[in-house]
This record gives sequence, structure tokens and C-alpha cells, in this order.
Amino acid sequence: MEVLIPELGDFSDVEIIEVLVSEGDQVQAEDPLIMLETDKAIMEVPSPTAGVVKTLEVSVGDRVSAGHKILILDDAGSVEEKTTSESEVPVEQKLASPSSSSMEVLMPELGDFSDVEIIEVLISEGDQVEAEDPLVTLETDKATMEVPSPAAGVVKTLEVSVGDRISAGHRILLLDGVNTVEEITTQPSKPIDPVEKLITTENRPDNEQIAVQTHPEDRIMPQTLPPVDNASFTKAHASPSVRKLARELGVDLGQVAGTGQKGRVTADNVKTWVKGILQQGGTQVTGLPDIAEVDFTSFGSVDIEPLSRIQKISGRRLQASWLNLPHVTQHDKADITELEAVRQKSKGSKGFGGIKVTLLAFIIKACVQGLEEYPRFRSSLARDGESLVKKNYFHVGFAVDTPNGLVVPVIRNVDQMDIFEIAASLGELSQQAREGKLGPKDMQGGVFTVSSLGGIGGTGFTPIINAPEVAILGVSRSQFQPVYENGEFVARLILPLSLSYDHRVIDGAAAVRFTTYVSKLLKDVDPLIEGLGL
Amino acid sequence: MTAQAKAQLLVLGAGPGGYTAAFRAADLGLSVVLVERWPTLGGVCLNVGCIPSKALLHAASVIQEAAEMSTRGIDFGVPKIDASQLNGWKDEIVRKLTSGLDGLAKQRSVTVLHGIGQFVSANELDVEKDGEITRIAFEKCIIAAGSEPSKLQGFPDDPRIMDSTGALQLDPLPKSLLVIGGGIIGLEMATVYDALGVSVSVVEMTNTLIPGCDRDLIRPFQKRIESNYEAIMLGTKVTSIIPGSDGLSVTFDGDAAPDEEKVYDRVLVSVGRLANGSKIAADKAGVAVDPKGIIKVDKQMRTNVPHIFAIGDIVGEPMLAHKASYEGRIAAEVAAGQKSFFDARVIPSVAYTDPEIAWVGLNENEAKAKNIPYEKGVFPWAASGRSLSTGRSEGVTKLLFDKNTGRLLGAGIVGSNAGDLIAEATLAIEMGADATDIGMTIHPHPTLAETISFAAEASEGVITDLYMPKR
Repeated sequence: MEVLIPELGDFSDVEIIEVLVSEGDQVQAEDPLIMLETDKAIMEVPSPTAGVVKTLEVSVGDRVSAGHKILILDDAGSVEEKTTSESEVPVEQKLASPSSSSMEVLMPELGDFSDVEIIEVLISEGDQVEAEDPLVTLETDKATMEVPSPAAGVVKTLEVSVGDRISAGHRILLLDGVNTVEEITTQPSKPIDPVEKLITTENRPDNEQIAVQTHPEDRIMPQTLPPVDNASFTKAHASPSVRKLARELGVDLGQVAGTGQKGRVTADNVKTWVKGILQQGGTQVTGLPDIAEVDFTSFGSVDIEPLSRIQKISGRRLQASWLNLPHVTQHDKADITELEAVRQKSKGSKGFGGIKVTLLAFIIKACVQGLEEYPRFRSSLARDGESLVKKNYFHVGFAVDTPNGLVVPVIRNVDQMDIFEIAASLGELSQQAREGKLGPKDMQGGVFTVSSLGGIGGTGFTPIINAPEVAILGVSRSQFQPVYENGEFVARLILPLSLSYDHRVIDGAAAVRFTTYVSKLLKDVDPLIEGLGL
Repeated sequence: MTAQAKAQLLVLGAGPGGYTAAFRAADLGLSVVLVERWPTLGGVCLNVGCIPSKALLHAASVIQEAAEMSTRGIDFGVPKIDASQLNGWKDEIVRKLTSGLDGLAKQRSVTVLHGIGQFVSANELDVEKDGEITRIAFEKCIIAAGSEPSKLQGFPDDPRIMDSTGALQLDPLPKSLLVIGGGIIGLEMATVYDALGVSVSVVEMTNTLIPGCDRDLIRPFQKRIESNYEAIMLGTKVTSIIPGSDGLSVTFDGDAAPDEEKVYDRVLVSVGRLANGSKIAADKAGVAVDPKGIIKVDKQMRTNVPHIFAIGDIVGEPMLAHKASYEGRIAAEVAAGQKSFFDARVIPSVAYTDPEIAWVGLNENEAKAKNIPYEKGVFPWAASGRSLSTGRSEGVTKLLFDKNTGRLLGAGIVGSNAGDLIAEATLAIEMGADATDIGMTIHPHPTLAETISFAAEASEGVITDLYMPKR
């Protein structure tokens, strides 16, 4: 039979990110065949029936929509139908089917042991056994061990008895009705418990809390469990086995109410809690109204341009920050007339191998002095919201616009750098960013971020905080403006600053103190270039 | 020419943590290469730690008990000790266990490579043996390279100055021994040498034996050894050791320092263990190692490099085999894609001295320091029929309960078999049992295990085996 991409709800033209089967593979009903990635979730397409993959018609990277052919399953459809229709038929009858064959079961490799005594025979001739069922028990001078059946079948002839001494390769019994029938005797497929399915889902390395949706008939939607807070997890009144279950499901035990004796959290409590979350369609995004889908083609022609990987990642992070952090933006203006004069002069300076010092280097230097003066701006809110983590290091990120999207490289220990060193780092990291050569480490560990759009223009904007940082400074284009000084208007070069901050951590007065402090440093410039001979 | 090998998972170090990790990973379907620098598997624990020392401690307790019976109507006379035969018996136990591990590795098709492992990159490790180098390419790695005894700086290099490994070789027995360091390892070896008739002295820098353990648990032990040992010098340091033909002359400084230098046949240095993090070229793999040789990991035993894990002594205190093997299991499962975490609440500690001292979870020192409200239940073994019938009465069982929830938070036991008894308290903590749960569980009589239910009853004020004034 042909296996097609099922109805995907709102999605079409979805990318295949993994193909989980190969031609010739034996698959069971509900076994995952391929994995698709939409911009909201990763999902598996399960096999509608058992069978053998005859031809595979897709590969990784293909973009598919509902109805697209995935593969052809070899005539196992009839076998599957037989199982479901004959599910009441006794097992023995099915085993008698002509496709069965017999198999010798030999004593397996025992490591250092040979000539071991059989102390118990656990089956008799005519017995039905499943794979892994114990057949005989052996005793060495160190331990007793059971020999499991390698396959399911019926014991035809038993060739050992209690007291025999055997070694690896010795025949234990003949098993009848092995192989193809084994598949038939598996339970007829039953509705799959979403919780069970979650358990078997592979642990995705990026640890994103996206549950995989396996029911093609369901509407596909992202299912999100809240992140686990290890501190509250540890305090939960739950036994080790319940803790293990919670970890497998990604459940924060601290949030699960226990109904067991003395408030103990039971395994059922954990499962019920997950079902509750799944039915809500995830906690964090609950209640957000969807944006209505519009068929743009009904108004004219359109082009589709896939988002880059960086755009997809930064999009998610920006949305998370914007939804989770109460943002306020404080605008201010810095007079950089003197600073610009110094900067122009520095271009001729020999300091640090003739590096060209940009305005951004001065701004970052001023921000770090601001961070030293106002430690809250280099803090993060603890996960439980009960405390602040103040960082004693001064790594500052800066936004770089690259052909692939927005990235934020981080300069380390800026407090130990002078203007030339900062300018050199800026140049180097921007270059790497544009060439796509930044490693993950180059973009981690920041305590504060600067986003400068001044090279392009603008008079002010509201930047989104690079969470879990608590503030970001946006910089727009400097312009000569008339400033009223000592009874007259004079032309001064004015730089617009926009500081967005997390209002849970920083209050309005602190924010304006910070921008005032930074503006003053930029205006007076001397503290920024101390000892450099500029 | 460099030989090549490949593994989905490489495990560096075959101690109790490493072999557990390797075997668990193999059982989960990974192809595993296990690298071990010594010729046998099992690491310090099996070869020169837990197991051989327990064999010698068993010998010590046989001698001790036989001697005690001499005043109770059974006199075996003075034992004749053949140190060489005793050594052989001990070595045979170790051989049995390590060859058992070889068998377990074979059954699981785990490839064992002997040699010294050094990282080359985040996905390659060189194993060097007799100048031959095998380069192993791995997808994931578990570092289980353990620890070594710390050395004291500034003392001479003399074969009579031993670490715990040397102290396990009894042959020939010295007449006198000085143990530097009053921690678990030093005191266990002191117990062995004392029973074998060696004159034992212990010197400890801090003012308590087994620092960190509650005083009331140390006291019965200390009282017993004070009468047997030559000297126990607390708050005292060794200032010099001068090797001579008639022994090692040692001078001391501190609270209990003798006025003159003392001469000992041997000195055992047991001042802690150092993690081996700096010996495996971890920097080549990008794995961060702190100045003490310790590698930091998260709750899934991951290092700062996500596909490289570390377990056991190398991730820091407590340096215990049962912690290492538990961590090994977690790391193997995570490496195989399972969502496992180190969520154990507590890790028990045992000193296999005579009497044994064992503790788990919260102790009173910590509860007081951190202002944690607790309810205490204590049962002195002087009221235990079973303890008295073995001729011993010094034991104590102590349980600490959370004052608000009533749940067991910690336990401390001193007395024979305390190390076995502590397991019940550990299970009770993991299960969140309270004093009623423990007290209402029927314990067999007469046993030492009863003392745990008695201590629970004592904390609730419902005990009948003691008289407790009404509260």
C-alpha cells in the first residue's frame, strides 16, 4: 500500500528533517517513518499499518504537503487486517499457520563459564513462549542465571533436563513457529495514551520543550510543558520511581499536587498533570489568541522565502523575551560633540596598531562603567523569582546584522580593556559574525547588550531585552541639534539612547539614573580615555 | 603507527563508576570501549580500596572478637599471624572479583583497552601502552578517571612512608605505625594494624576524628580506640620525618604534640584524595577542570562539553564507590538518549572501623549551622538485647526528623554493622517516610535493625524499651 503524508492541519510545504526507515525495513503500525519540522513543532508521521518498506520515495530536506507519497509498504496490510479481525482467535491456531518455521535454541556465550549445571527447566514441550521468556536456570559457583528465549514460538522438543551440565553452543530445545508469526501475535493496535507516547519519544538534544505529536488525525499544535525548576523538583514529596517518571516526561514535580498518603506525589498524579497540560495545549502559550490565517494568493501573486536557521532561533528567543519580561524603554540623549572630536583625533593615533575606534567602542566602555556603578543592570532574575543573580563579570554583547540574520557576539571582560582593545574585539567579532564563523561560545555569557542602529539612521526605538539579561541599550543616529546653553543656541552633536529594561528587576528611577550616568560619561569623555594620551 | 578504534561511547576508567557506565550503556545498545590504565578492571575500589581493606577488616574483627571471648570462658590463646598468607587470601578475593568483571565485559561485548588515556580532541582519545598508541574516535565519552591519594609536601621519599595502597600490603608487619590524617581511610587501616598487634598512633590536624561527622557518633568509637592505641593526637601536625636505620623519627607541633620526637617503623599518609582531572589532557577536549583537578557537571552528569560526561571521584566529594556507580548509570542512560537525572536526595557514608560509624543526609552539625528545625530520636544500644549479647554496648542510633513535615532528614549510627543498618534509613529518606512510618514498621527481634524503629519511637515519645520522661 502507498503511505501518504496525512492531513497536517494548517501546514503545508513542510520540511522532512529525518527519515527513520530504510527500504527493506520491517515496521509496525504506529512506528514513526519520518520527522517533519514546521515553524511551530517537530512531528513524526507514523506508519498506518505493519509491513515491509518496499520503496522509499522521500529523503531528508524534501518539502512535502498532505497527500504526498512517502513510501510503499509491502503487502503486510493483509497481515495486519488479519490480526485485528482475528484478535479473538487463540494464539496456538495462528502459530500453526504455514509461514512459521522452527529454530534451534543453543546455549549462549557465558563469558568465563563452561560446564554449568542446569538447576531448573522452566518450560515443557508444547509450551508457548515469548521472546525473552526464561527457558532454563543455570548455576555456576558464583551465581544463578536464566537463559532467555531468543524468539517467540512453541517448544517442539526439549533436549536438556535438570542436572545436565552444558557449555556454550549446546542445544537446549527446538522452537517451532518462529519469525513471521511473531509479528502477528503482537497485540492489536490500541489507542495510544499520549503520556505513554511522550515517554517513548526520543530525548531531543537541544532540550527544547516541544512534545512530539504522533496522531495524524489530531490537529497538530505545539505542546509545551513548563520548564523544570530543579530546586522545587528536589523538594517534592515523591519516591525515586516517581521522580524518574517525572524526569522522563519533563514534569516539574514541584508543580504537581500529591494525592497520596500525607500528600505524597504518586505516578498517577504525574500522568494526570501531564494530560491536563496537553489538553490545555501547553501552559505558557495558553490564552494567546491566534492570528487569523490569510490566503494572500487570493489578492495577488506571492513569493515564499524560507527563514534562515538563525532567524528561526532568534525569532523564538525574541518572542519568549517579549512575552515573559515586562519591558519599559527609557529614552535619553547624550552630547557627544567632544567625544567625536577625540575620536576623529584618535584615527591618527598609533595606539593599538592604528585600530579605527568606532563610536560603539566608546558606548560599550561607558556602559561597562555604568554596570560597575549600578550592579542590578548586570543581574538576572533567579528562575523562582525569589532572588537576583548579580554577575561579577563584564561580558557585553552587541547586535550584528548579518546576511543570515541577527546575531549577538559577546566581548569578554570589557572592564579590563581600553578603548583600542574594545574596538579591536568589535572589529574581529563583527567580521566573524558576518562570515558565519562564530561558535556558540562566542555568543554566550553576556550580562548586557548594546544594539546600535545609528549607522543606518533613526531617532529612537524600543529594543527587546536579550533575556535572561535585564537591560539592553539601543543607539540611534547622532545629529547636530541646537542646544540652549548660557543664553544662546549652540550646535551640539546629540546621540539618542533607548534603554529597554526588565521592570521586575529595575525600577524607572534606576533606569534614568543609568542613562544619565552613561550620557555624562559620553559627554565628558575623559574618564573613558584615561591614560591613553588622546 | 597509530592503531585506530571507534566507539559510540568511550568510558575512561574502569572503576565502579566506569564499569557500571560501560555495562549499562552496552545494555542500552551502544558500542562501548572501556579504557583502563591498570592491568585489571575495578579501579581503586576493587584493587586497592574498599574490597581488600574489608577483607583485612574482617580478619581484624575475628582477632578482636576471639580476644574478647577470653574473659567469657573461651580462650583461643594468642593468635599466630602469617601476614603473607593473609595477604594471599586478600589478593585472591580481589582476583575473583576483577576476573568476574572481565567476564561481564565480555558477555556484553564491551571492548576493554588497557593503557593511559589522553584526550586529543573533543572526539578522540589516545591510549598509550608500552609505547604503542591506539587512537579511539568516539561520539560520546564518560570520564571516570577517579582520584589518587594526596601526598604531603616536604617529606622524604622513603618506602616506609606509605599511602593507603601501600598500607594494604601487610607483609612484613611493622611493630609501630603512625597514621597521618584521622579520616575514614586512615582510621580503617589503623583498625587493621591495631588488631594485628601493631602499636598504632594517629595524628589529625583538626580537633576531631572524621571531621564533619557528629561528635556524639565519634565519641563511642574514640573512647574505644583511646584505650587500645598508643596515641591519638588531635589538633596536631607533623613537622618533620627523618628516615633512620631504626625507623622514621617524627616531630610534631600542636595541642597534643609529644615533647620529644617519636620513632615509628612505618608512616601511613591518609590526608584525602585528589581528583585526576588534570592528568587526562581534558583541555584538548575543551572540558573545564578546576585547580583541584575536579570536573564540574550538571544533574545529568554533563561537563561543559555537552557530549562528554564525568562521574565519580573526578567530579568531587563525596569520593565514594556507590556514588560513582549511581552517577555512571545516569551518565550512560543520558548518553543513550534517556531522560535520566541525578535526583538521589542523599548519599550514605560509612567508616568501617570498630565500631563502624555510618551517616546519611542531614547531621546535627549541619542542622544547627543552617538553622534547620529538627526533632531528634536517639536509641542507645546499651538497651539493645542483641548488641549486649554480642558483648558490645557502645552503639547509638540517631534519627533526625523535619520538625514541620515529620519526614526523616538524616540518620547517624555508630556500632557493629552500622554500615549495613544505614541502608534502611537511606531508603526511608528517599521514600519520604516519617517517624510513624518507621516506628510502625515491624522490625525483627532481636536485631540491631530494631534500634532504627526504637529511635523513631523515641522521637515520637512512644517507646517502651526505654523510659522517657513525659514531655
